[in-house]
This record gives sequence, structure tokens and C-alpha cells, in this order.
Amino acid sequence: MYSETLLDHFRAPRNVGMMRSPDAVGESEDPSCGDLARFYLRIEGDRVREARFQTYGCGPSIAASSIATELVLDRSVDALGELTAEAVEAALGGLPEDRRHAATVVVDALKGALRHYRKGKSRGTSHV
Amino acid sequence: MGCQRAKARADPLRSFHEVSNVRRVYLDHNASTPVHPDVLAAMLPYFSERFGNASSVHGFGREARDGIDAARETIAGFLGVTPEEVVFTSGGTESDNLAVKGVAGARPGGHVVTTQVEHHAVLRTCQALEQAGHAVTYLPVDGEGLVDPDDLRRALRPETILISVQTANSETGTVMPIEEIGRVAAERGIPLHVDGVQTFGKLPVSLRESGIALMSMSSHKIYGPKGIGALYVRKGTRMVSVQHGGDHERRRRAGTENVPAIVGFGKAVELRARHMLEEAERVSALRDRFWEGVRRSVPDVRLNGHPTRRLPGTVNMSFRGLESESLILALDLKGIGVSAGSACTSGSLEPSYVVTAMGVPTDWALGAVRSSLGAGTTAEDIDYVLDVLPGAVQRIRALSPAGAA
Repeated sequence: MYSETLLDHFRAPRNVGMMRSPDAVGESEDPSCGDLARFYLRIEGDRVREARFQTYGCGPSIAASSIATELVLDRSVDALGELTAEAVEAALGGLPEDRRHAATVVVDALKGALRHYRKGKSRGTSHV
Repeated sequence: MGCQRAKARADPLRSFHEVSNVRRVYLDHNASTPVHPDVLAAMLPYFSERFGNASSVHGFGREARDGIDAARETIAGFLGVTPEEVVFTSGGTESDNLAVKGVAGARPGGHVVTTQVEHHAVLRTCQALEQAGHAVTYLPVDGEGLVDPDDLRRALRPETILISVQTANSETGTVMPIEEIGRVAAERGIPLHVDGVQTFGKLPVSLRESGIALMSMSSHKIYGPKGIGALYVRKGTRMVSVQHGGDHERRRRAGTENVPAIVGFGKAVELRARHMLEEAERVSALRDRFWEGVRRSVPDVRLNGHPTRRLPGTVNMSFRGLESESLILALDLKGIGVSAGSACTSGSLEPSYVVTAMGVPTDWALGAVRSSLGAGTTAEDIDYVLDVLPGAVQRIRALSPAGAA
């Protein structure tokens, strides 16, 4: 049902937890199943230097959150803007049809963090 | 948390198959059970030696017929009914379909009363009846999952043609007040169908004095093979057949009999009849030891269902602050098989309709996990789960944003 990559990220999630004074925070919730993902990003020179997550949800949602932190790390914020649910799913080695929401909720939360970052930047603040 | 993570990461990646070499604990007996070796042995000759079509006149056919007759007598004897009142089907779902559609089909346009917590085999059949012009009332349940017989009384109409209530709920194990419901049905002369899949072979039932006109049964929940079940139909119950064809099962269920499975089902019932009461006692004790252990070692946990009126092996508990699928997966990686309510809808991540119907708040309902113990379950199994569970719950809760659920 689940790939070894997914199970590995579920068993030992990377970059879990909160972050003190992040440059961006984004959150998304799947209204049908209640899954909730929240990401904290440290951004320097328009690059993601640190990413952390907290997620309530099924195994795939937790694994998708974990692998997404790795996908965005050391990438530019523009690359973050181009991240897709398909890319997260591919990195996880695929998702069953009824768990596709896991990748979607994670990408939505990261996009939320990006919006937050750009808004903060336009206001000239870097901290939240 | 950091330490825990480093330790977990140092573990080599272990696949499901490697895990299976460690310890495996199966706590999903309400979903299915392993076939008892004696059952399998009884079935085997009917695949290759006594393979005849039971409808055939010749000796090959008669051998198969004898196997069916013996199984039917065993099951009828166990239920205290006549063999003619036992109809073999392909399982619990077909039995439910035959009962509900069969009775409704004999009285088009009639009103049916059932409950909100029935198995999908009854619920969706009733929904199909609504499409076909029947009116259906879905009775609510209380906080412990019980239907109130007074609610049933109030729901009955002059045109009510069928009452369908489960004997026990597969998700929570709550045992319904079937005797009282049967009295209401008898008072009003309305046929009562009970979905007895979860209690059959686990708890005693007396059909003769019960007001029950029909009861669905399944073989694979009681260590028999899958793909076989039965429907008890009290003599004189008006119904139509749902599946048309030959004259099998006294024209109530067409189709060549699944002889090996029927023989296996009969053997499974024979074995259960011998050990049912002592087994119920043993499993109930393990069930209570399990819940007591969890209650003591895990904060923010609640029992869903009735504390005492419950199937011997069933424990449905909700862990607040986690989503059940993640806990099931974490336990699975430790070789432990539990489920989120009904196995039939495990693809759905919405909270269980059964737990929701009991009024359990969503943040608790999302973390509902069902364990169902059975014949293979030992005290050591329970102790192993009690060792693993608190850490798994804590780990998943720690991943979650505070107050997420």
C-alpha cells in the first residue's frame, strides 16, 4: 500500500517541530478529513535555510510533510512557489488514490508560508 | 523529541515482511478470522473427491448433498431451529440483502425501520429501497451505541413491514437490546431481521422465543472460510427471492451450492458451539485487561461503546490529538493489526459514522481505533501491545500542532 520511502518518513520524520521567530508560517487543513499541516520557514537571501513542520493527520500526511521539508530546503523561494502536489507524491514513491489529499494539504500549507513571506517582505518585516 | 528521532533514524529500514519475523499480533477479529485447521480438513475432500453438484441425482451429487445437509443440521441445531429455516448465502452481506430486499419486495411501498449504525450491507440496502419507493426510518443511538426500544415503538407505522437491527455493532461491540426489540416486533406483528454477523458463534441466541424472523450469519468471523454465510428465515416469513435461477435453497437463493465452504461453515459452528461460553469469558477478560492497561498508560483516551453490554473481544477507543490512520500505521510497523472502525470503509478518512452517531465529538471521533480480540489472542499479545501503544501514541501526538484536534 505504501512505499518504503513513505514508511521511512513516517517512522522517522525529518524536521519536526516549531521554530523560534520564523520568517514565514503557513498552514492548511483538509476540511473533509481534518488533516492539518503547518510549516515554519527560515529564509535568507530568498533561499529556504530551514524548514520545520507540525502535522495532524494520517500516515501519508505526516510522511508528505517530512519529505516536503527536504524538498524545499536550500531551494529558492521561487522554486518553492513552483512545488506541486504531484512532485511531493512522486518523491514519496506514489500515494494511493484515497490518500492524495496528503500531498495537496502539504503543498497548500507551504504555499501559504510563501504568501506570508512575500507579504511580510513587502511590509518590510522579516519576523512574525 | 530530538533524541527519539535520532534513535528511530538509526534503525535500518525494515520492510513489512521483515517486521513479520518479529512479533505479529492480530487484533482485527471483527474483520476476519483464520480458518481453524479442523475446518480446513473437513473442507478438503469436497474440492476433489466429493466435488459433485448437489443437485445431481447420481452418487457424486448425493455425496455433496449429504455434506450440505449435515452442515445445515449442525447450524439449525446450534440455533434451535429447523434445517428448512436455514438458507445458505455467500456471506453476511448477501444475507442482509436477501433479508431486507426479500421482505420489502413482498410488500412494495412498505415502511422499514432500521438504525443509523447498521453495517453498510443493511444501510445501503435500505437506501436502495428508498430509491425504489420505500420509506425508511433510521433510528438514532445513545452515547453508548444503544437503540431505545421506545424510539422503535414511536417509529412504527401501520404500513411498517420490516424492522432491521444488528445484534451487535462491529465497530464498538455494543450489544443491542434485541430481546426488547423482539418483543416490540412481536407485539406489532412486524417481521424483525437481525444482522447477527458479529454475535453469531460468540454469544448465545435464542431465536424461538425472540420475535426474530430473520438473522444474518457469516462464517469467516468464526474461523470458517470466507464467501459463505447463512440467513435464518422463520417458517412462514413472507419474502421474495433476490437472485433468480434454479430451485436451490428451496427457491430462496438460486445458484449451485458452495459445498466445501458450506461444510467448512458447519464445522466452524460445531467447534464454536463446544467452546463458545468459555471462550467468551476468556476473551472478555483479555479485553478488559487491555482497556485497563491503556487507560492507565495513555492520557486523553476514551472508550467508545457500552462499557459492559459489549462483544467479548471488542475495544473501540479514541485517542484525542491524533488521527487514527497514523496510529494504525505506527502499530502496523510493530506487527500489530488493528483497524479504524469498519474495514469496508478503511479508504475513507472521515470519522466513523457509528462513532459519530453516538455523539462523540469530532476531535475524538477522528482518533477512534478498534481492536478486536479472538481465539488466537493471548495475554502476552496484549502485554506486547500495551508495551508499544503508549510510545506510538505519544510519538504521533508530538508531531501534531498543539490543539490540532
